[in-house]
Amino acid sequence: MLQYLIIQLDDTSASYCHYSNDKKESRLISVESLKKGILFAMKENLMIQFVYPNFELSQEYKDAINTIDHSDIVPSDCEDEKLKDNADIIIFNNWKELESYKINENGIYVIRTYKSELFENHLSLNKFLPIAKRINVVITDIDSFDENDFEKYKEILSSLSKEIEKLYVEGKTPQLNLLTDRMMLDKMNNCNAGDENITLAPDGKFYVCPAFYLTDGNEDYGLGKSKFSIGDLENGLEVKNPQLYKLSYAPICRNCDAYQCKRCVYLNRKTTYELNTPGHEQCVVSHLERNESRELLANIRKHGIFFPDKEIKEISYLDPFDVRKEW
Amino acid sequence: MSKKLIGSVTEQEKNEIQTLFERRNGLNELAMILTAENEALYEKLVKDMGETGTKFQNWWNTMSAKYQWESSPNGNWEINFETCEIYLVTNE
Amino acid sequence: MNMNIKNSNSSWQSGMAKNITFIVTKDCQLACKYCYLVGKNEKERMSWEVAKQAIDYILDNEQDFREESVVWDFIGGEPFLEIDLIDKICDYLKSEMFRRDHHWFNSYRFSFSTNGINYDTEKVQNFIKKNRDHLSIGITIDGTEVKHDINRVYKGNDERGSYKDVVRNIPLWLQQFPNAGTKVTIASPDIPYIKESVLHLYSLGIKEVNINCVFEDVWEDGDDKKFEDQLMQLADAIIDGDYFRDHACSFFMEHIGKPMDPKRDNQNWCGAGRMLSIDAAGNFYPCTRFAQYSLRDKKAWMIGNINKGIDKNKLRPFFTLDRCTQSKQECIDCEVASGCAWCQGENYDAAESSTVYQRATAICKMHKARVRANNYYWNKLYRKLELEGIAKEEAEKQMKQSSNNINC
Repeated sequence: MLQYLIIQLDDTSASYCHYSNDKKESRLISVESLKKGILFAMKENLMIQFVYPNFELSQEYKDAINTIDHSDIVPSDCEDEKLKDNADIIIFNNWKELESYKINENGIYVIRTYKSELFENHLSLNKFLPIAKRINVVITDIDSFDENDFEKYKEILSSLSKEIEKLYVEGKTPQLNLLTDRMMLDKMNNCNAGDENITLAPDGKFYVCPAFYLTDGNEDYGLGKSKFSIGDLENGLEVKNPQLYKLSYAPICRNCDAYQCKRCVYLNRKTTYELNTPGHEQCVVSHLERNESRELLANIRKHGIFFPDKEIKEISYLDPFDVRKEW
Repeated sequence: MSKKLIGSVTEQEKNEIQTLFERRNGLNELAMILTAENEALYEKLVKDMGETGTKFQNWWNTMSAKYQWESSPNGNWEINFETCEIYLVTNE
Repeated sequence: MNMNIKNSNSSWQSGMAKNITFIVTKDCQLACKYCYLVGKNEKERMSWEVAKQAIDYILDNEQDFREESVVWDFIGGEPFLEIDLIDKICDYLKSEMFRRDHHWFNSYRFSFSTNGINYDTEKVQNFIKKNRDHLSIGITIDGTEVKHDINRVYKGNDERGSYKDVVRNIPLWLQQFPNAGTKVTIASPDIPYIKESVLHLYSLGIKEVNINCVFEDVWEDGDDKKFEDQLMQLADAIIDGDYFRDHACSFFMEHIGKPMDPKRDNQNWCGAGRMLSIDAAGNFYPCTRFAQYSLRDKKAWMIGNINKGIDKNKLRPFFTLDRCTQSKQECIDCEVASGCAWCQGENYDAAESSTVYQRATAICKMHKARVRANNYYWNKLYRKLELEGIAKEEAEKQMKQSSNNINC
């Protein structure tokens, strides 16, 4: 069921997820579309998340935004300092900015990173884990992981896991999406774009997520245009094959317990052509995280009682596709 | 010509002779296109034809001894790959 | 007691063979009206270099092709237009499989679906002699001259039928392949000719007729009733004429038309993804129906090429497809679901979005009509056999061996 409306305020609004935003020219959503979008959300009972560009919006926009309860997703280099101070989520696109940023204890921070940068800089996360309320690491080139990368990633997760264990023993409760989410979850907690959330873009049209708007108009990843809208403000939503965004229509994912996986439909579309089918790399990365979460849970429990009702089973595979005959 | 059911073999035994049968057919058809000019491959083929022929005959010898199949001086045995059944085919 | 009911022959090494298709040409002498190949042309002919590179890739990567057997399939257009290339490909395959000690040397076939027009030419006949023990050749003949020539016409303006040029080659074909069957495809205009066509094919000596309705949305109001009537007449003719003892017609299958369990009977119908198709440009597809010349509205579903190899991620949707996930609730709940076929390529082509997960249902009313006629056929046949003194249990035991071949 639809619960969230993401409003991409500008063509240059920061990416907060796997997709990249290479647009350099500003194109703000019109105030009229913004107001209509807000009205749509009010009528459909949707929580709005605004995704900001790095420049300050005019008062007219701010006034419209403030007509509704909402969340703000703001880039770390945003010129609007007041907005940044009150943002719900701050996004970093490089490690240098994160290093120099004044992290506060109520903040949720997203660091978007290439795998190579993560492999190089992961130790700096140790500095922020005790301070920030939550850190989300988003690897932007998951689809390029090879066997060596998987090995390296496993080592890095293990190293981060030890740091988190240490913090728990000290009585802190750090949150790192890659490791702590899975410990707490009993069911899938994916992105669910197209099912629980949709995006309103500056062109006044709805998209499954910002990725399907921002992708180059000619990009097709080999199978027809990957930029496609699912309706507009005038005529409402028109999602083709809406069932394919639901977990129950995703054969690999509905048989999977890497509950923390984003199950990114855009990555799915890019790697396998099908919105409901993840590629091998996404599955293995998520299972490395899942398995390290299992280790972390066990290690924390060595120090005392910790979520006694949670269990992460030992499994023999890293890609559920490999055991599909057992489903 | 008459055809008489005289026994059967196991699925695994059938698979053994079917593989040899297929290989022998493959070698025979390969022999039609290979010439001695391609020396290495030609020698490999000739060797394989000899070995496969021997294995083929050994299978029939072993199985007929194992199952004590009826035989006839002017007949030969046949296998049905779908049913694993063995027939004695005689020219009468 | 032996019932002597002729069953359809299941295809060679069914379920255990990898099917690798070379689209050697997109040209054909004919312009059949029901042909799904919307992009046929005279230009795209496979070169020897592309074919060789494809073969080398496949044989170099034996670990990715673990199927016990292989069917090297050649299609077009009309494959025998490229008999010189095919001959060279097959010679290379034989010697390379042998040279590399590839496990497929012990279990391979060369398969062809041809319009039959060039069948008796010297080149084709020489090819057949060279590869006699490894060939499967199907000639497509649609039935009577009238029925055949409705659809199977020469390209050009005069739309001349091809029946006479095909039928003259049938005796030679059956002499060389006595157990060969033919494929018959039914579209809306063909319905009135079904009965006489099947009987005509039997009269030509063809004992196995694999026949099915096209999956595309071509059906008109009332077609299902006409179809059912034709099948009932055909049922009468087969039973009353005792053809059922040594002839087969794939329309009549004892086990179709039953409800299907969503868990137990949840397999995909189609083998797309388990096959590999290669076109003249050296591109790989999960099945020929996903190549651009087969698609009306969608972009080709390419899974790699001879230079980069196969992108296994692009095959994952096919290996995880199941019946229920791609079907509407109406199909899942259908009381006569079993035997209702689909083509993954047509599903993709007809889907509202770019997906193989939306089952096309244009064939629904035709399947239901077939089930009604099929029920009639088996009830009538059982009764006849019962009156002849054959116990029903024995009859059922024998009949259950029928395969369920659908032509792609």
